[in-house]
Amino acid sequence: MAVGDYAFLIPLLPALAFVLTFFLGKKLPNGGAIIPIVAIATSFVISLLITLGLLQNPEQVINQSVTWFAMLNLGILVDPLAAVMLTMVTFVSLLIHIYSTGYMSHDRAQYRYFAETSLFTASMLSLIISDNILQLFISWELVGLCSYLLIGFWYQKPAAASAAKKAFLTTRIGDVMFLAGIVVLFSDLFRLYNGSIPEGVFILKFDEIFSQIPQLAAMSTPVLGFQVNHLTLITLLFFGGAIGKSGQFPLHVWLPDAMEGPTTVSALIHAATMVTAGVYLVARTFPMFMAAPDSLMVVAYLGAFTAIFAATMGLVMNDMKRVLAYSTISQLGYMMLGLGVGAAIGAEAVGISMFHLINHAFFKALLFLCAGSVIHAVGTHDMRQLGGVAKVMPITAATMIIGALALAGIGIPDTSIGFSGFFSKDAIIEAAYLFGENGGGWALYALSIAAALLTSIYIFRLIFMTFFGKPRTAYGGHEAHVSMTIPLSILAILALVFGALTMERFNTFVSETFVNNFVHMDIPGLAELGGYHLASHAGHEPLIILWLPVIVGVAGLLIAYLIYGLKVVNMDKLVSRNNPIYKLLYNRYYQNAILTNFLSVKVVYEGLAFAGRAVDTGFDWVVNWIGDVTMDTGDALRQLQTGVVQNYAMVVITGVSLLVILITVVMEVL
Amino acid sequence: MIPVELYIGLSVVIFSIGLYGFMTQRNGVRMLMCVELMLNSANINLVAFSSYHGNLTGQVFVLYVIALAAAEAVVGFAILMSIFRMKDMIDLDKINILRW
Repeated sequence: MAVGDYAFLIPLLPALAFVLTFFLGKKLPNGGAIIPIVAIATSFVISLLITLGLLQNPEQVINQSVTWFAMLNLGILVDPLAAVMLTMVTFVSLLIHIYSTGYMSHDRAQYRYFAETSLFTASMLSLIISDNILQLFISWELVGLCSYLLIGFWYQKPAAASAAKKAFLTTRIGDVMFLAGIVVLFSDLFRLYNGSIPEGVFILKFDEIFSQIPQLAAMSTPVLGFQVNHLTLITLLFFGGAIGKSGQFPLHVWLPDAMEGPTTVSALIHAATMVTAGVYLVARTFPMFMAAPDSLMVVAYLGAFTAIFAATMGLVMNDMKRVLAYSTISQLGYMMLGLGVGAAIGAEAVGISMFHLINHAFFKALLFLCAGSVIHAVGTHDMRQLGGVAKVMPITAATMIIGALALAGIGIPDTSIGFSGFFSKDAIIEAAYLFGENGGGWALYALSIAAALLTSIYIFRLIFMTFFGKPRTAYGGHEAHVSMTIPLSILAILALVFGALTMERFNTFVSETFVNNFVHMDIPGLAELGGYHLASHAGHEPLIILWLPVIVGVAGLLIAYLIYGLKVVNMDKLVSRNNPIYKLLYNRYYQNAILTNFLSVKVVYEGLAFAGRAVDTGFDWVVNWIGDVTMDTGDALRQLQTGVVQNYAMVVITGVSLLVILITVVMEVL
Repeated sequence: MIPVELYIGLSVVIFSIGLYGFMTQRNGVRMLMCVELMLNSANINLVAFSSYHGNLTGQVFVLYVIALAAAEAVVGFAILMSIFRMKDMIDLDKINILRW
């Protein structure tokens, strides 16, 4: 029996572990952490074997479906795209679970923690493995639920409870758009089939959707005087969902607040199980985006904007975890940008974007777990109170510096020397260059280079402030427990070498997602459907383009070293409430004031209250009116009931007399 | 043979007397008696038509009406008796607590 037949176990085992841990965990040591660890380890082994099998033979996609009801199905699909995601998620999640046994060892609700993280992993895996968009949406919602539960894990803290609520509600906005996209897609497909769907055709399955792309692209509806292409509409709505989940501007506000949960949860959300879902959704439906160039442009520009927007805020944060949170938003912007420039480079966009996603997962999980290790030992996440931690925690410091180098993307072009982030980020920046060269404008390239510089500055600012110099306060501390340092070391090794080892194979492997026995997409053909042409392929960039990302990375390192290591520039003047730019950044562009205090509280909340009052008054009036009229009518009519028998008899007699007269007249006439 | 018009005339006269009494009297017993008059005027009609058509159905009806009238009188007088015991009068004008 081939290992592919066991693919359905990948999401099922962690789901089972959730049930077991939830009910039995209390009685087991360490909150029953062993159950999810074993389950996820098994899932990891299965995913890895499947991935290796696919590497041998990328044509053999695993696809199993059963009828759910009517024209919908439940099924699993493991193609190269899903396989690499599955492997990465199970692997990172496994390491985070192992790390958590140390990190959460003092918590009383450990069993709840492990049950929820296990469910989180299960939902994400089932999202990845779905072979139809509806099943993907269901898992998508489950992921949202788990993020709510885990961000609010310490629900006794008001900040955590409100952060959980914020995350849930903010991503909900995206989810509604995603659902709307599915509804539009469904009704369009239904119309294409004229309402009679043959037996055995599941219309929301990905291969079915992809095969209908030309017909979908031909449909359009006038909205507010514009002809809106249905494919553009659907993809934009899907991307709306991705904006919410993947923390793109303007729905990124929940991500920094999500730091209220345990650091391991942040690592899980940022690296493996949540924010990557949005990128995955766009990658999964990439052929649809290819045929809708307008959506692709929205993806690219919003991604590039988010990348630089979040990076500027990361520069001034003093909370270690918040710096990393903004870093995640910024890197997700890069991934979206990578997908968006598919307008120039075709299916390879999915390859480079997923490559960055995987590399990012490794080094971001590493950075978060290192931060968690420091927080666990020192008890604060304010970098202003730290300094010189490297002396106390050498392993953590070393691994975190590796993570930082990977994030900054240090390496030597045209060789296989470099940290993992270098290969993927440079690929995206070069793709942005190609996009510009192809006549798409240089804004994307400029933004991505600027964001790379900022990335390097903020992450090394964090490193220098935390690990070097003299301690700024007296904090106690010790190197973390071995259950925490081992995952750190494994992730550090991956951050070090994963990019270099897999660069060649990875892109071609993932790009094959859309050409195999499951779907055969003609990507250049789709581009023509959207009315544009792909660039002739890469490899002839000027030397400076290859080197520029590395140069800005090193420049960022040097700037951070000069300012925070050697302190040659006195920052006190710059870092003050009087400096308007600092103030703007520190207050995060007043997003909280604008989005929460103004938009949510003033516009939505008070607007709803006003509308509610108006409606209430209206309904009150109607209800009272009905009551009054009934009472008045009754008052008038009851006067007829005199209680005098003769009056009643009078009425009866009059009635009978009239009847007789009537009948007589009628008889006469007839 | 007496022509049927005379029976009908008699019946009309009795009915009118009953109706007049019913409309003008305030005493419950008198009103019940007037109701009896009206019922029996109808009986006369039924019997007259029965013999006019040579069909016995009308006479059977009359027996029913008589039984019904008896029952009605029993119930009516019983109610009036209890009212009289409570209020010492049977003036139906003043018995109006169940109206608005």
